[in-house]
Amino acid sequence: MKVPLRWLNEFVDTGLPLKDLTHRLTMAGLEAEKITAIGDEWDNIYVGHVEAVEPHPDADRLVLATVDAGEHRLRVVTGAPNIAQDQMVALALAGARLIDGHADGQVYRTLKPSAIRGIRSEGMVCSEKELGISEEHEGIMVLEADAPKGAPLADWLGDTVIEFEITPNLVHNFSILGIAREAGALTDRPVSHPLIFDFAAAPSGPSDLVTVEAADICPRYIGVRIEHIAIAPSPAWMQRRLLAAGVRPISSIVDITNYVMLEYGQPLHAFDADKLTDGRIVVRRARPGETLETLDHQIRQLDGQMLVIADAENPVGLAGVIGGLDSEIHDGTTRIILESANFDMKVTRRTARELKLRTEASARFERGLDPNLSRDAAARATRLILDLCPGATVSGFIDVYPNPLEPRPMSMPFSEIERLLGVRYEPAQVLDVLRRLGFSPELDGEGNDATLRVTIPTWRGDVTQAADMVEEVARVIGYAALPERLPSGETAPVQRDSAYAMRRAVRSVLAGSGAWETVTYVTVSDDDLRRLDPNGEQTAGVHPVSWDALIRLRNPLHADRDILRPTLLPSLLAIASDNLKHERGVRLFETARIYLPSDEELPREVNTLALVLAGERAPLDRFEAGASSPLDVFDVKGMVEALLPRLGVSGTQFERIESPALHPGRAVGLFVKDELIGIIGELRPDRAEAFAIETPRVAVAEIDLDALQSVANPIPRDVSAPRFLPVEQDFAIVVAEETPGGDVEAALLAGAGPLATGITLFDIYRGPQIGDNRKSLAFRVTFTAPDRALTDAELGKVRDRIARTLRQRVAGELRT
Amino acid sequence: MMTDAQATIDDMRARAETELGAAGTMDDLTAWERAYLGAQGEVTLFLRGLASLPANQRPIAGRGGNALKNELTAAWEARRVVLSAADLQQRLANDAVDVTLPGRQPILGASHPVSRMIDELSEIFALMGFQTVFGPEVETAHYNFDVLNIPKDHPARDVWDTFYVDLPGEIVLRTHTSPMQGRVMERQDPPVRVVVPGRVYRYEAQDASHEWMLHQLEGLAVDRNITLADLKGVLSEMARQLFGPDRRTRFRCDFFPFVEPGVDFAVDCAICGGAGCRVCKGTGWLEMGGAGMVHPNVLRNVGYDPDVYSGFAFGLGIERLIMMRSGVDDIRAFAANDLRFLRQFARAA
Ligand SMILES: [Zn+2]
Repeated sequence: MKVPLRWLNEFVDTGLPLKDLTHRLTMAGLEAEKITAIGDEWDNIYVGHVEAVEPHPDADRLVLATVDAGEHRLRVVTGAPNIAQDQMVALALAGARLIDGHADGQVYRTLKPSAIRGIRSEGMVCSEKELGISEEHEGIMVLEADAPKGAPLADWLGDTVIEFEITPNLVHNFSILGIAREAGALTDRPVSHPLIFDFAAAPSGPSDLVTVEAADICPRYIGVRIEHIAIAPSPAWMQRRLLAAGVRPISSIVDITNYVMLEYGQPLHAFDADKLTDGRIVVRRARPGETLETLDHQIRQLDGQMLVIADAENPVGLAGVIGGLDSEIHDGTTRIILESANFDMKVTRRTARELKLRTEASARFERGLDPNLSRDAAARATRLILDLCPGATVSGFIDVYPNPLEPRPMSMPFSEIERLLGVRYEPAQVLDVLRRLGFSPELDGEGNDATLRVTIPTWRGDVTQAADMVEEVARVIGYAALPERLPSGETAPVQRDSAYAMRRAVRSVLAGSGAWETVTYVTVSDDDLRRLDPNGEQTAGVHPVSWDALIRLRNPLHADRDILRPTLLPSLLAIASDNLKHERGVRLFETARIYLPSDEELPREVNTLALVLAGERAPLDRFEAGASSPLDVFDVKGMVEALLPRLGVSGTQFERIESPALHPGRAVGLFVKDELIGIIGELRPDRAEAFAIETPRVAVAEIDLDALQSVANPIPRDVSAPRFLPVEQDFAIVVAEETPGGDVEAALLAGAGPLATGITLFDIYRGPQIGDNRKSLAFRVTFTAPDRALTDAELGKVRDRIARTLRQRVAGELRT
Repeated sequence: MMTDAQATIDDMRARAETELGAAGTMDDLTAWERAYLGAQGEVTLFLRGLASLPANQRPIAGRGGNALKNELTAAWEARRVVLSAADLQQRLANDAVDVTLPGRQPILGASHPVSRMIDELSEIFALMGFQTVFGPEVETAHYNFDVLNIPKDHPARDVWDTFYVDLPGEIVLRTHTSPMQGRVMERQDPPVRVVVPGRVYRYEAQDASHEWMLHQLEGLAVDRNITLADLKGVLSEMARQLFGPDRRTRFRCDFFPFVEPGVDFAVDCAICGGAGCRVCKGTGWLEMGGAGMVHPNVLRNVGYDPDVYSGFAFGLGIERLIMMRSGVDDIRAFAANDLRFLRQFARAA
């Protein structure tokens, strides 16, 4: 809410400099978000008196005005249609910085004396736009007759506008007076009130002027009928305040309702009484099928949960939200009904949301307004109308308020303050704070048993229990005054999150393996998923999901990206593609959740790891001359193979798989028993192209970390320091070309038994010595026994067993 | 005959000494040793041949020959020390490289700055007795709002622009990590001390300071006698651990429906020292998050008695903390994952 400081100062004099005032308010919960000065640009601009206006000898549309500003008396040439003798105006002298009235936006120009059609103009009479007050540039700004001639314009019109953030609980501060009351309480200064009309002096009735049929959602309705009104522009001072507060002036009656809303926080509405059937107001729920054309020229479909203001027949306004177009005040309006009412916060909020129509009025009602505000606001507006429209009279007044809201008493242990704040305040200090805030506090008893009794004013709907009262005390004394300490007492039962520990281990191992962690968006589009598999009935990835079972957002930020991703791969591939625009090779990974359909209320969120490797394996350096070879399936598989033992995982198997996104000859699955928990391989080239990745190969993996976690072994209990030297032996095994190398290694290890503690494949040979369609795999096996040095005889037996096993399992022959 | 043996010895000595003096390399020395002292060496063979000499010459030849062997062995040893030192010198000289050239670097990656900040906070809070727990990202409105004293049809809900998930019931992408307050308190009795890091989602347009997917870290402590002073202590300690021991914190009143009293906390800007700069938008303070004493309605909602137990809660924006500490000026950089950005966070300690 924008608060012009001069307006605020009308009601409270805090004696504080601006900076201190805004600091106090901010610390106490009313944050001053922005402070802007009106008029600090106005050097060399003064209040001037137009002494004479003469026609320009050579131009019909221009006049020569003689303007007296005390020390400066100038003749200026102007084309302003509204200039007239005896006006008080803003006179800019040479050197003044003004906004160019003809330019779009705010273009500043420094004023220089110039000749216009042969006549020298020494200065300029300014429009509102030229001064930065509004967009108005049709004519010059005319000041009040009592503006002090010769005074710098900034002294007369300058102001400071403080913009406060009004949090949802602060409806009582959503007004100039509300903020004045808060400032007065914080600084212990009195707050004065504006002049208001006395309804006791007005005729009461007629009784059918207002009928409230929906009293359950309209606690109060005041209707004031005022006649003999002549619509005119509101006075300059009012327009300026409205502008400073961010409200566009329209005409006297509308401006007054807005002015009082800003001043009191009570939204008001004025109906043209002659447009109301039977000249009466009925407050009721909308009827099915009813419509209303609102002030913004929209035709609104109403429903039975909406509260409307109607005349004898039709809706003429949406209660607390917006008025109807038909009953709008217009230039010919002479009789009005002024509404100052209280509407249910939930109903107002629902209507505003349903119609996507947030207004200044609805913003206040939906926070829960004090019904006791309505009468003073109505009286203030009535007073302003009578003051500003000579001849206007009040011809009717109805206040429907069947159940007046009373201040509520509340009591609480005084010790509650110390229990929640951790500090004991003197009772006198607490009572003083609460008195200033209007809570009329009293203390019964002494010490820890004392009871604090307060009366909660009706405008403090946000205060309902002891904790609220404690906040009132704390915020006024200031949070800075509270001590700081660390919590003492019992600790909660200690539990470590093992999944978090595992993710940290994954990140640490992969970072050590050269991969960079990414954090990517959780939504993907149908197209993103189709890039991995253009035709499938299920999505690609470690956990395929049927297309019709995908979990989608109802209100995505980007209409096409509405899917909560069932796989991390598309997001990570997009990041790889972006980075490859400036990197020769990337190793990227992410650990994040994928979202799978489930039978529960919420989707199944699975902690998942994805890897993408593409481009050159090693950076260009002097050690390996020439271009590096491209990262491929063995890079990503090797990374996974290195990772598994570091996570305590053993007993997983790699098997060839087919997966829609993966190259059929370069895809392998990670299995626990028969369950697939990871896919590893190279993207099919056409899929890579769909992600605009141009490297020859794109190696990817996606692994279910939760599944991995479930098969991680406990910490081993048989760790010993080795005391005997290992023995290394090489085995060259000839098998048929189509025999998978993994099977050969498994057979070799099975034959070797527990003495084999390490195995490395170090060569694959094909050639004439071996024969067609055969290959020789060379392994180096490390043998170790924990309790003895191995003998040749022992190893000889092992070698025999290996030869036997290889023959049986993979039809392999040991070469010697 | 006597002169024969002596002459032979003298002759061997003369040749051996000359040749040893000429041996310039370890190879020369090895050859010399083989020639004189090796198994087939001249001196060895001479001594081996003593038996075939006439008896009267044997003592002289034996003494002379053994003395020669000892002399030559000592000379050989002296020469070997000299030559091996020279040889080592030569090898070292030949092996020299230009050590100002770059070394062979291992290829290393790094965790994302968001993960690192979460790890760091988790460690800091663990030292203060907080356990790290995680909760669902797709959440019921019940836990995301209702339990937290944010009723439907209340304007407080508007503070959180929410993504709704197309599932039966009212399911949302959690707008904050606070729903875990309810879940944690429902499954355990006080004392409670947890932090909850994770992703949160806000339905709002992106710009340099707004992002629809963010990370938060929620803190919650509930017990008898937990006070606002404890909250201030914990948050100030966290700020000093993160930003340095000289940092000052500022606590002011603010509104969040699930706390009362409510707190907004800020740290003085380390970049300008509080004088005002671009990062702190001229205020000298950087807002770190919202906090407060757990609202009695929230305690009631999870079955805790607010007259017996009290607690505090706070929420930290992870990206915001990194931006504050490292001067990052565009929040979108975190999800863009440009390696040139990530590399700047590569330091491991
Ligand atoms: Zn700064």
